This record gives sequence, structure tokens and C-alpha cells, in this order.
Amino acid sequence: MKKLVRAFALVTGLVLFAFMAFGQSIDQLPREDTLIAGILTGRVGTPGNFNAWVGWKWNDRGMQNLANEPLWSVDFATGEIVNCLAAGDPVYNDDFTHVSIPLRKGVKWADGTPFTADDVVFTVETLIAEPGFNDHSSFATEVERVYKSGDYQVEFDLKQPNSRFHTKFLDRWGCTWIMPKHIFEKVEDKLTFEFNPFIGCGPYKLHSYDPNGYWTIWEKREDWQNTPTGMNFGEPVPKYVILQTYSDEGSKIVAQLTHQLDVVDLSAEGFVATLAQGRTIRAYQPGFPWVVNNDPCITGIVFNTAIEPYNNPEVRWALLLAIDIVEYLGQAVDGQATLSPVHIPALGAYPEYYIEPMQEWLKEFKLDLGNGEVFYPYDPDVALRIAEYAKNRGYYVTDDPEELKKMFGIGWYKYAPDVAAKLLEKNGFSRDKNGKWLLPDGTPWKLELLEKTDTSHHSFKNGNAAVQQWKKFGIDAEYIATDAHATLQGNGEFQVTSSWPAAEPWGAGVDLYRVLDQFNSEYMKPLGVLNQAHNSRWSSPEMDDIIRRLKATDPTDVEATVAIGTEALKLLLKEMPSIPTYGYAGFITWDEYYWTNWPGSENPYAGPYAHWGTFKHMLPFLQKTGNK
Amino acid sequence: MFVKRYLIPRLLQYFLVIFLGITIVFFIPRFAPTNPVQRTISEIRSRGTYLNPADVEQMVADLTRLYGLEGSWGEQYIEFWRKLFKGDFGISFFQFPTPVIELIKTALPWTVGLLFTTTVLSWVIGNIIGGIAGYRNNRLWSRILDGVVMFIRPLPYYIFALGLLILLAYVFRLFPISGGASIGRLPSFTLSYILDVLKHAFLPALSLVVLGAASWFQASKLIVQNVNAEDFVQYAQLGGIKERKIMFKYVIRNAMLPQITNLALSLGQILSGALITEIVFSYPGLGNLLFSAINTGDYNLIMGITALSIVAITTLVLMIDLLYPLFDPRIKYK
Repeated sequence: MKKLVRAFALVTGLVLFAFMAFGQSIDQLPREDTLIAGILTGRVGTPGNFNAWVGWKWNDRGMQNLANEPLWSVDFATGEIVNCLAAGDPVYNDDFTHVSIPLRKGVKWADGTPFTADDVVFTVETLIAEPGFNDHSSFATEVERVYKSGDYQVEFDLKQPNSRFHTKFLDRWGCTWIMPKHIFEKVEDKLTFEFNPFIGCGPYKLHSYDPNGYWTIWEKREDWQNTPTGMNFGEPVPKYVILQTYSDEGSKIVAQLTHQLDVVDLSAEGFVATLAQGRTIRAYQPGFPWVVNNDPCITGIVFNTAIEPYNNPEVRWALLLAIDIVEYLGQAVDGQATLSPVHIPALGAYPEYYIEPMQEWLKEFKLDLGNGEVFYPYDPDVALRIAEYAKNRGYYVTDDPEELKKMFGIGWYKYAPDVAAKLLEKNGFSRDKNGKWLLPDGTPWKLELLEKTDTSHHSFKNGNAAVQQWKKFGIDAEYIATDAHATLQGNGEFQVTSSWPAAEPWGAGVDLYRVLDQFNSEYMKPLGVLNQAHNSRWSSPEMDDIIRRLKATDPTDVEATVAIGTEALKLLLKEMPSIPTYGYAGFITWDEYYWTNWPGSENPYAGPYAHWGTFKHMLPFLQKTGNK
Repeated sequence: MFVKRYLIPRLLQYFLVIFLGITIVFFIPRFAPTNPVQRTISEIRSRGTYLNPADVEQMVADLTRLYGLEGSWGEQYIEFWRKLFKGDFGISFFQFPTPVIELIKTALPWTVGLLFTTTVLSWVIGNIIGGIAGYRNNRLWSRILDGVVMFIRPLPYYIFALGLLILLAYVFRLFPISGGASIGRLPSFTLSYILDVLKHAFLPALSLVVLGAASWFQASKLIVQNVNAEDFVQYAQLGGIKERKIMFKYVIRNAMLPQITNLALSLGQILSGALITEIVFSYPGLGNLLFSAINTGDYNLIMGITALSIVAITTLVLMIDLLYPLFDPRIKYK
């Protein structure tokens, strides 16, 4: 027995020694030259397949953010549209049926082949020819002919006027990418082609990848000067970039605390824990509210306006006024977000062009409570109330009202449960003896809110906060978290949900076409039929007219575009098919142990996320700390 | 006689269970409110790519055709069996156009490697120690061990695994945080790669073995205590047979019989993966694959993994049935 124990101890000791000797977490790569970032979309399901034109392909594993270049890229942090493979703006004819795009000269694919107009023409013709490509119908329905008028000039004849056709190539978080013609033209079945190794025009090339989908390594191209990123911003500093995913929040946090993960997206709770534990870890903002608060997405609540009682705008407004937004924001994200009173986020160009100029109108906006009584719901001082909440929580916040508005938003709506009650009573609702709300037919009002199961997603956070507020108001509200939310929303099988209250704008420029087109009645389907338009199923002749006029307007005509956009926002506000609450709060943390000069709020030179296309624009500005 | 009266009916039952199991697995996901086409499009759209709603409708039609979801459920069912007989589970919808069999082939070795080893190890450790502790249940060490196991056994697996991760990967930094092998290291038959894989498997394996062995320990101890009280053990003791022989040959051997059946079932279940282990340690395997397939309505992938699991469990149960006389001479198939 003793011999057995000794042998066991010896073997165990040898194995442990061997582990120490051979086990390196990063094999062969110099850590001081390597940047490690998280993959937002999780473990890559198709590790060996880089054909991003077919199905879902985890583009943030390094394809869109390191190795690929679009024609144009949106940088929401700077509010700029960056020319990448395009050399300048698209030029439309007067009736928007033809567009000419100049291309950048001197760009090479990662295998050294020059990028030319032939690649663009080939891409569009291939997408039109094969119905299995994601963008097939998008081009097949719009493009009459695509041709080159020079090696660096592409021409599109369109089947119908479209002043925003070029945005198909504008990388916001994905777009139509250009195929390397010299590779794809040799492939017979382009849909099943794996495009491995990946060849792009970006500053990094594929080094290796995990067959199990947990990591992908990219290596800086020696000819980085021949890439749009290199030409625009200079040489990226990290020689290698690893995109890695962790299945569990706990292991992500441990990885960052042990300097094995330089930049990552976390949940709100993980974010606070990591900042508290890591001496070298920082967030986007140096102080409270820490989070990335200039993301171009607006979160909130969506009503199914095709069913009762949510087809009534006064009921929707009543539900809004039953929300104490300070408490709501505290429950959802501990006060760490920026509110917006309209269906676009309060970031970039939007406050200046839309939200600020709408202030007077917002203050004058009133609701008819019946019997000649009106109510002005807008609250321009909500930021002060949130600051009070933050102070009570022990956070330091400034007393400067202007700074507070930048932090927490220019305005939102008053908490007015008494007014909400009047609006409901005006529409036949009543309360039972316990104070619970009854529908106009006298049955209990049982409100079900559909939300995602991912507790770190803002759908979950908004949904839970809204349900809490409405319960407090006396509605029998509950949330249903399900992974089937996409199908249920599409089919209209829900009452209220916490998906995007409106499609996100592009993040740069003033054009709201992308936001509004989702409300086009042309796309709306009856309940039970899969709907690809906005989940609210709300549309109106006035909105159709606005969309039609906006589509016929040159998006570079700022004055005209803003005027029509403002009209649309006012209409959405009056109808309130969805409640915009706060701009997407990004819980990202950066470790400054190996790399510094991250684009924080004090110096937002590029988008702060590693999963956006603008990640490659950040890399030339990072600095090594010298730690090894 | 054995063939006619037992083997043939048992084999028929075996194939019927597989057929019914796979048929149920074919239909259940289709009743779920998750549309795989819509789920894929939702993923693409939710990440910022702008798709015109009219274009999306066309895309739905294209993907439905590509995924082979056209036609009635009956037509799809017949097509499914036709392909299955050729060993083809079809393509994964969400990981289009990767064949399901490729995904399973990538994940299977990790799952089998980890779970087969840990299941057998925990069974052996738990049963041997549990058996001895059950036989010597009056000793102090037995009572202490019982107390320790009673403390470990109810710990939620997630908490226990995360605790191990924090202790041995963060506080002491002895083991890697995640993955099946180091970043940048590709599979190869080299000593360094094998050691690297073992090092990465250590924490997940430890978490499974400790809790698994604790579970087997308690069951084994209880059974041994019951067997120990039986008459034949008393007779053996009175007959002067050596205690060591009584313990191993008379008591523990008899106590092992139900545990062998349970081992077979546990081994069959390893093909479903160990989801929480894979999540905590970001370990590659079938559990994560199955979980994401259910979330995304990836019917083909769900069917591929569960069909394998059904076949594995029923086959192991069949084998145990047929091999049982070897373990228990009292049982004979006549």
C-alpha cells in the first residue's frame, strides 16, 4: 500500500512538473507584442470557414475588425465617415439612379494582388448571380448594371432611385465586403467555399485559429502601408492580435486580472468587479459612470401595436409615464447610461442636430387628459435627478449641469403615475379593490414582456426594469425570458418586448433613413406572419410620406435631411410605438499592463470597442508599456 | 434458446428504442417557437448589418431552401432518415454550410477524452473508497471522510468549479484559465502538445472527479453497509474467512452490481457533454455545441448530437444486459 502511495505521489509530482515546464498560455508569441481582445459574439461555430458572404460568420473574430476593409467605415466616436477602399464620397446623378464610386489606389490584398475596380464589379455580379448569398436580394433588386469606368472607378446603374445605395458598403458593424476576384473566380461552388486562409485588404493577415473556435490569431502584414488603415492612420503597433472568447464571465474576469486579456466586454456586474479588483484596469470614462456612453444604439421597450390595448397611443403614453426613469436606470444599469427622449441615441451629431433643437418643441409638447386638462410630460432636468441617485449610491459626480447632461442625457419624461392613471381611465381602464389595473372589459390587465435570456444584454435589463415599474403602478406585469424571442417578435406573438425601440442610426452623419425605413407600411405583415419590419408593427401614412421624401433627399444635404428627420422623430414621439430609454451602455474594460493610450472619453480618437471595424484604426495609436 | 427467447426480442427492443428516440428528437425542436432561419437573420441584423426588410423576406426564402426546410414535416422526416442511413446528418443551419458530422467530429474527442476519463476515475475512486469506508464504518477516518463528502457533495457544481478556477488559476496561477490547449498551439502528436492538453484538462477533470467521486462514494458506502448486514457475510465471518477477502470478494463485489449499471448509464450520457464544465472552463466539447444548437433552433445539429447519445445509451444498456451474467453468476439467460 505504501509503495502504491509513493508511486502515485511520484507520478503526480512528475505530471505537475511537466505542466509547469511545458504549459504556456500563449504559445510562442511575444506577449509584449501581442494584443488580446475578446470576441463579442462568442465562440466561433465555423472556425475554418471565413466566407462572410454566406450565413452568420462571427465577423468580429478579426475579419471585420482587423483583416478586412470596407469601402467606407463609420467611426461613431469621432462622428466621421472614413474613406477606406473608397477614395472619396459616392457621386449620384440627379434622380439617384446612377452612382459612381472612386476607389483608393495602391491597396493590395494580403497575398500581394492589387485591389482594383474589378474586385468590386466581380463581388456585386457574384452576389446577384447566387441566391444563397446574404446580400443576394439586396443587390438583385436594386442593381441594373455594375461596371468599371477605370481601374479605380466603379459605376452602378440602379433599377430605381436610391440616394442611400452606397450605404450597403458602409461598415457600421458589418456591410457588404469586397471579394478578392483572383481567388473567388476560380471557385466553382462559392457558397460552400470556406475562403481559408482568409485574404483581405486590412492591415492584419491570418496567422492561425483554434479548430474549436475559441481563438483566432492575426499577424500584422509586412506591407501594412498597402492597406487603407495604414494609409489613413499609420502602422498598427501590435505585431499580433489574438481574438479570444471565454464561455463564462468569471473566467473572462480572471483572465483580465491576470493580464491575459487586454480588452473585453463584460456584464454590468462583472465590469464593476473587474474595475474594483484590477489595479491596471480602466474603463472608457475615468470616473463614474465609467461605461461607454456614446454607442450609436438606443435601447428601450417596444409595444405590439397590432393588438389591444397597445394599439392605443394613450395607453402607450400612460405606460411611459408610469416609469420613474431614475429608479428604472438604477435598476437596469446602476445609473450608468445616457437617456434619450427620442428614438435616436444622444451621441455624436444627434444632440446637436436633433435633440437640442427639439428642446422647445419637447417642452411645449402636451398630452390631452380629457375634460380640457393637459399635461406637459417632458423633463429637461432629469440629469440632475440621476446625479442625485448616483451621489446617494456613493459615486462622485460633478455638479456642473452641462456636464451632467452629457453624462446622463439632455432630458427624458416626468414620473407621473397620477397622469398615467388619468390617461388609462380616459380610455376605460379601471382599478379593482386592491388597486390592480383592469382592462376596459373589466378583466385583470396581465402584461407580459418578452425579453432575451442573456442577463448582460440590455434587452434583459430594460425588460426587468420596466416590469418592476409597472408592477409598482398596479399592473400585473411579468417578464418572459426566452431564446425564441426573435421568432416570437417576428410573428407578433408578444404584448410588449424589450428589443430596439428603433433601428440604430449609422452613428455618423445626420441621416435617419436607416432608423425610419423600419416603420415603412410596405414591409408590415399581419400578425402570425413573419415580419421583417419593426417589431412594433407600427406604421402610418404620415411616416410613409416622410420616408418617401427622405429617400428622395440627398443625404449630404444636411439641412433638408435634418428637417425631415426631425419631423419623423416628432411623429414617433407623439405615437410612441416604442419607448426609447437609454443609449447602449458598453461595459468594456482595458488592461494597461501591456498597452496604454486606449481611446477613453478624455481622448476618443477612435471607437473604443474591439469588435467594431474601427478597432484597426485604434491600433496605430496604442503604446507599449514595456512590460514583458 | 438464448438467441430466440432473449437476444432477438432484446435486439428488436433496442432498435425500436433508437427509432422512437430519434423520431421524437426530430419532431420536438420543430414544435419549439424558434425558427432557425429567423434566428440566423436576427443574429446578422442585431449586430448592426443593415438589411432592408424587403430584402430580408427574400433572404428568408433563400435560406429556407438552402437549409432544406422546404416541404412538409413528413417530407422532411423521410428525407432525414434517407440521409441518416448514409451517415449524413445534414448541414448545420447556424454554422452554415458546415456539415453536422464535422462539428461533432471536432467536439467529440474533447468530450469523450474528458468525460470518459473522469467518469471512470470518479467511479473507481468513489466506489473503492466508499466500499472500504462502508465496510469499516466504525473507524474514525471513515466518519471523517463521510463528513467531508457530505460537505462537498451538495455544493453546486458551478460554484465548486469556479472556486477551483479562482484558487488554482488566479490565486496560485498553477493552471490555465480556459481552453483545451494553449492559444496558438495546434493539435499534434507531440509530447509538449499532449502535456499541454493534460494541463488544460486538469481543472475541469478535477472538478468533475471530486464531485463525481463524492457521489459514487455515498452510494457505494450505503450499499456496502446494507450488504455487510446480510447473512452470508455473517456466516463468512463466523467461518473464519480472512476479513480482507470478505470485504473485497463478498461485500464490495456484491455491492458493485447496481453500480455497474449506473456506470454504463453514466458512460452513455457523456455524449451529451458537460455543459457547465465547458462553460466555466471554456472547454471544447459537445455540451456547448448542443446548447447553442437548441438556442438557435439548429434542428440538424440537435438531431446529430442527440441521435448519437441515444445510440450510445441504448447500446451500453444492451451490453450491460448481455454481460451481466459475468458480474453476477446468479443471472442466466435461458
